[in-house]
Amino acid sequence: MTATDPSRALPLDPSVAPPGTRSFRDAGGIPADRWHADQNGETLVPTHCCFCGVQCGMYLRVDHGGKVFGVEPRNHDINRMRLCPKGINAYQQVNHPDRLTAPLLRRSRHEEFREVSWDEALDHTVAEIRRIQAEHGADAFGLLGGASLYSEKTYLVGKFARVALKTRHVDYNGRLCMVSAAGANKLAFGIDRAGNPFSDILLTDCLLIAGSNVGECFPVMTQYLWGARDRGASLIVVDPRQTAVARTADVHVALKPGTDSAFFNAVLHVIVAEGLTDEAYLAAHTTGWDEVRATVAAYPPSRSAAVCGVPEEQIVQVARMFAGAGRAMAWHARGVEHHSQGVENCLTIINLCVATGNIGKPGAGYGTITGQGNGQGGREHGQKSDLLPGGRSITNPEHRRQICEIWGIEESELPPAGTSMMEMVWQMQRREIRGLIGICNNPFVSLPNYATVKEGYDTLEFHAQFDFFLSETAANAHVVFPVTVWAEDEGVMANAEARVVKHNKAQEPPAGVRTDTWVIRELAKRLGAGDKFEFPDSRSVFEELRIASAGTVNDYYGITYERLEETGGIAWPCPTTDHPGTPRLFEDGRTYHPDGKVHLQVVEWHPPMDPYSEEYPLSLTTGRTVAHFLSGNQTRRLGALVEQTPRPWVEVHPSHGFRNGDPVRVVTRRGSEVFPALVTEAIRPDTVFIPYHWPVPTAANALTIDALDPRSKIPEYKVCAARIEAAERVDEVPAPPTAPGQPAYPETQVSRTDPLPPTSPQGRGTAERS
Amino acid sequence: MMGRTIFIDPGRCIGCQACVSACRECDSHRGKSMIHLDYPDEGHTVASLPTVCMHCEDPVAPCAEVCPADAILVTADGVVQQADTTRCIGCANCVNACPFGVPKIDLQAKLQMKCNLCYDRTAYGLAPMCATVCPTGALFYGTLDELRAERPGVQVADSFTFGDVVVHTGVAMVVPADKVRWPVPGGLPVVEINGVDVR
Amino acid sequence: MTEPPQTADPTPAPDPPAPGAAPAADGPAPQTPAAVRRRAVLAGAAVSALLILAIVFGSRLLRDFDSALLPYAVATVFLAFGVAYRYTVWVSAPGARRLFRQGWRSFFSAANFRRAPTALPKMIATYLGLQKFLGARSHARWAAHQLLFWGCVLAALITFPLTWGWFTFTSGSGDGPGYEMRIWGFKVLGFNALNIIGWLMFHGLDIAAVLVISGASYFLWRRMKDRGAITGQRFAYDLIPLIALVVVSVTGLLLTFSSIFLHGGGYEFLAVLHMVSVVFTLIYIPFGKFFHIVQRPAAVGMQLFKYTSRDKDADGELKTCRRCHEPIDTAAYVENLRGTMKDLKLDFDEWAEYCPRCKRVLRGNAYLTHVKKGFQ
Repeated sequence: MTATDPSRALPLDPSVAPPGTRSFRDAGGIPADRWHADQNGETLVPTHCCFCGVQCGMYLRVDHGGKVFGVEPRNHDINRMRLCPKGINAYQQVNHPDRLTAPLLRRSRHEEFREVSWDEALDHTVAEIRRIQAEHGADAFGLLGGASLYSEKTYLVGKFARVALKTRHVDYNGRLCMVSAAGANKLAFGIDRAGNPFSDILLTDCLLIAGSNVGECFPVMTQYLWGARDRGASLIVVDPRQTAVARTADVHVALKPGTDSAFFNAVLHVIVAEGLTDEAYLAAHTTGWDEVRATVAAYPPSRSAAVCGVPEEQIVQVARMFAGAGRAMAWHARGVEHHSQGVENCLTIINLCVATGNIGKPGAGYGTITGQGNGQGGREHGQKSDLLPGGRSITNPEHRRQICEIWGIEESELPPAGTSMMEMVWQMQRREIRGLIGICNNPFVSLPNYATVKEGYDTLEFHAQFDFFLSETAANAHVVFPVTVWAEDEGVMANAEARVVKHNKAQEPPAGVRTDTWVIRELAKRLGAGDKFEFPDSRSVFEELRIASAGTVNDYYGITYERLEETGGIAWPCPTTDHPGTPRLFEDGRTYHPDGKVHLQVVEWHPPMDPYSEEYPLSLTTGRTVAHFLSGNQTRRLGALVEQTPRPWVEVHPSHGFRNGDPVRVVTRRGSEVFPALVTEAIRPDTVFIPYHWPVPTAANALTIDALDPRSKIPEYKVCAARIEAAERVDEVPAPPTAPGQPAYPETQVSRTDPLPPTSPQGRGTAERS
Repeated sequence: MMGRTIFIDPGRCIGCQACVSACRECDSHRGKSMIHLDYPDEGHTVASLPTVCMHCEDPVAPCAEVCPADAILVTADGVVQQADTTRCIGCANCVNACPFGVPKIDLQAKLQMKCNLCYDRTAYGLAPMCATVCPTGALFYGTLDELRAERPGVQVADSFTFGDVVVHTGVAMVVPADKVRWPVPGGLPVVEINGVDVR
Repeated sequence: MTEPPQTADPTPAPDPPAPGAAPAADGPAPQTPAAVRRRAVLAGAAVSALLILAIVFGSRLLRDFDSALLPYAVATVFLAFGVAYRYTVWVSAPGARRLFRQGWRSFFSAANFRRAPTALPKMIATYLGLQKFLGARSHARWAAHQLLFWGCVLAALITFPLTWGWFTFTSGSGDGPGYEMRIWGFKVLGFNALNIIGWLMFHGLDIAAVLVISGASYFLWRRMKDRGAITGQRFAYDLIPLIALVVVSVTGLLLTFSSIFLHGGGYEFLAVLHMVSVVFTLIYIPFGKFFHIVQRPAAVGMQLFKYTSRDKDADGELKTCRRCHEPIDTAAYVENLRGTMKDLKLDFDEWAEYCPRCKRVLRGNAYLTHVKKGFQ
């Protein structure tokens, strides 16, 4: 430098460039120089995305060294080559430096983890299981599964709990996801799945999306919404926030969180009052209509408009639009399900579809959009506390007998129904559950009321966790088993349409990593139940699963790996190997109840469990952003996604007087945290929103309430009472945990400490990141 | 004149940035995203706008015209390529002259980079990465007929006004039927009060 | 390797301003293509003539001129013409002309020199010599290019003066081992052909050939393998230069091999082959990829211009975006760009005072306001 005076030192290269043009930091966090496009030939392995319930098809690009290095769009008929940012970046998990490659063990939480051999980790785990169960009974040890596992593995989780651990306490994180929809479906239809395939959306005349941020949580599904509109369908979106699909909708009902059933009852009220119901259908195919009609009579638009905070005319408009359409369809997701009356909210939507005769026809029906990749399949085969494989009930003696026969155990050995995931945490607090194995879940981020969750887990005498990255929960465990990512094993998942799709193995797992199936088998062996778990691979598990589901509602018997590879997916029920599957339910007008009727259910609205007060006047609602997935253990490590959305924020209406980026403290009865404000007119003035993918001290779930729906036991994530106040500085996002001695892959974490909110809920504009 | 090209419809865009990530997967500029995704109505709505190179036809590629090193090649198929690595001197003329705000520049590498319609894919008849993955069809690659087969009656415009200048582009935008006869406004002229642009 | 389906002229010839158009405020008089060509021919002829004179006088009126090297010398004269011609055409285009003038203006500014006397030498060293910017693109490409670059520089430093008869090596005893090296007839160095310096003197070209072959081979290999490089790759533009360099170097090495190990076997043939490849390469320089050798220094000019126009002591300042107030570039640069745009009749030059993000956001807002807000 020529300058002698440092104050005016000018770099030799004085170049400047405007924002957004000069930086390739957005190169997925990996320096651009290190991305190679050297082509020695490659193999494309057809598979599906590991993330959400849409289950987009994709190819993984595998180089000649057998390593996954990229992704290529695949023309699968679910997604027709489309992918979302999570799906595109999913492959980067496979050979990610943060992967766990050796079992971690520590005797107490005060010690550091050390890497140990598989034998030591397995032996120690089994010794602890035996000790706890000997001292406190078999039910003192619990098992928590996950709905991002392949169906084969979810089957194993349930079987392992009942046959090897012999405990009643097994549940899974789908409990936090969509059990409300499952409960409502069972009550109304006797079958737990969406009624119509995605492709029916293209045929509809009126589409109602309730409580689903389709554009961000199921981006690839948006093509079906837009396809319907291209053909003239009208779109109604019910959401407290203006989401990307709500922005252009024909009607956007921005109701107050926690008032869904009041709204839908009022819509049905108008439909009844205006004589728009399908009386012939109701008479022929339903029970309970008179009771429902009497109930909704008490919900005139004037009453619900006040409850929901929406104009009366909008309720009438929605009613006329939905009931007046030739074919109408409703899809809903967590927005209506994550409530202390989640099941009932879903039932009001079902009532709406049924009352207008929109069931079981092309372009007419209803569906629920599963959040996790295997949200549908994960709940079907026995990792739910009250269910056995094939959707059988654990309280039904006939079902118990059938399963005991398949499993080769005495019926007396089969434990009774257990409790739900959140209830299990309370039981941990009370020391009713003293040991736990968690597989494929991260409750430290995903369960509500973090303080309770942390206390529950800290009280455990022994805690083991299966994962491929060290999650916040695993970092608090005693033993961590490093297991495969989705691309290192094969298996099936069922997407939101209940279409079973097959994932293929693209590469060998790294040295030291084992499949979940192998770990469960080794544990079972050591627990003396090895003969019940002689599964060398996923295929052998699937064969047993087929048999175990044969003849049930969730019939997989006709589905084989070969058929899945040939067809690209088969929707259950599929009872025989020449059965084409059942993409659309109820086409013959019959439901899966013994009487073949839709059992309409009466729903009365009640306010959310967390009461508003002068101190807590606002509604806090939580949700997802497009760049991250659930607890973020996967996506918070992928550079491109961190670049897109480095941190959570609180979305507030301008009427609160904050400026964009101001530190805002959000206080609820459970705690308080400081987020940067994203000030936008796209949210109700009485509501604030925080995305939940991050751990404390930036965790939305440190604030949410652990109130449960009495039937589905789903927590009320979507509404609690809160207040906001100005604060000094925002809480910083912690780095994702990693194995000892290994920093979180630094290139992917560059922008994590950005103190500002994103430009828009979908992320930072590309020019904001330079 | 409009062959296979990209059609942009911001009205369908959900701002998910799949295009931004997908752009990085293109082998001709692997690891670097050339696409821009802006949220122009920040603070009011969640509207979003994807920007790929518009591949200007008339005037032919202002970026190439202002280039002092003749580094930007326009191939006969109308694709404005990114800067030739041996020629580009990193002066940023193209970055600041482009009326659509497209080119990027790597100041350390003294190299301009921009959307080249995924030339490694389009040269073989594949769609560019962004338009292949776009979950909403906000970015669509194909011919106008192919677009109309999916969206009956859709209208497009391929000219933009910047003040008095009309720029005709190779990439087109979807417009409502009643707007099809006028060029799409490009953002100029300026609206200033006391020398500050108030927009 | 891949060729794009069709390729147009690699240099997008901008329409020069129409004759009689009013000159832009700061721009020079408009030029017709014919005028530019005329000037370019004149420049080429002048430079060629100068080179011929330099050869004649440098070789002491051809006394030191080696007639065996005549074809090489003729090729260099053609090279000089071609480079001067192309250079003139190049700097006549508005974008290049303006930066060319600004670069030299900064260079000749005494004030700039006083303030920052070492800036230019440092820029030349880091930019043209070490080529650090290539390292930012890829370390491997930087290394290979350095091999190629220094190999070519070394070869040129040896062969051009030899060809022109500027260097002579004479031995008092007739055939060594004591030699004298003379430039323009003046003795500069005496050395023993058998020691290390002597070996280096006589094998300089072999060393250059090894450097060039290793560098060029890496680039050739990369052009077979790297999908980024293959995209839009053209045989004549991207591969011929590399092949030419390899052929020149290999035939040159074979000449040495022939004289040492084969006692001159095949020397005649190899010499012709080498000469043909060299002549071809030299004549190709102005027209293809190698022209970047001539163009590159413009980057230093550009950098010096930006450097001096940013220097606060010279009232330099950054221009900020009119909407978001983020810096765009130096004010002088933006002014220069606006002039270029005016020359080219790109009359939205006011737009250059907005950063690209604001251009996009404003266009997005205009679309939302005037075209459509939502889906339809």
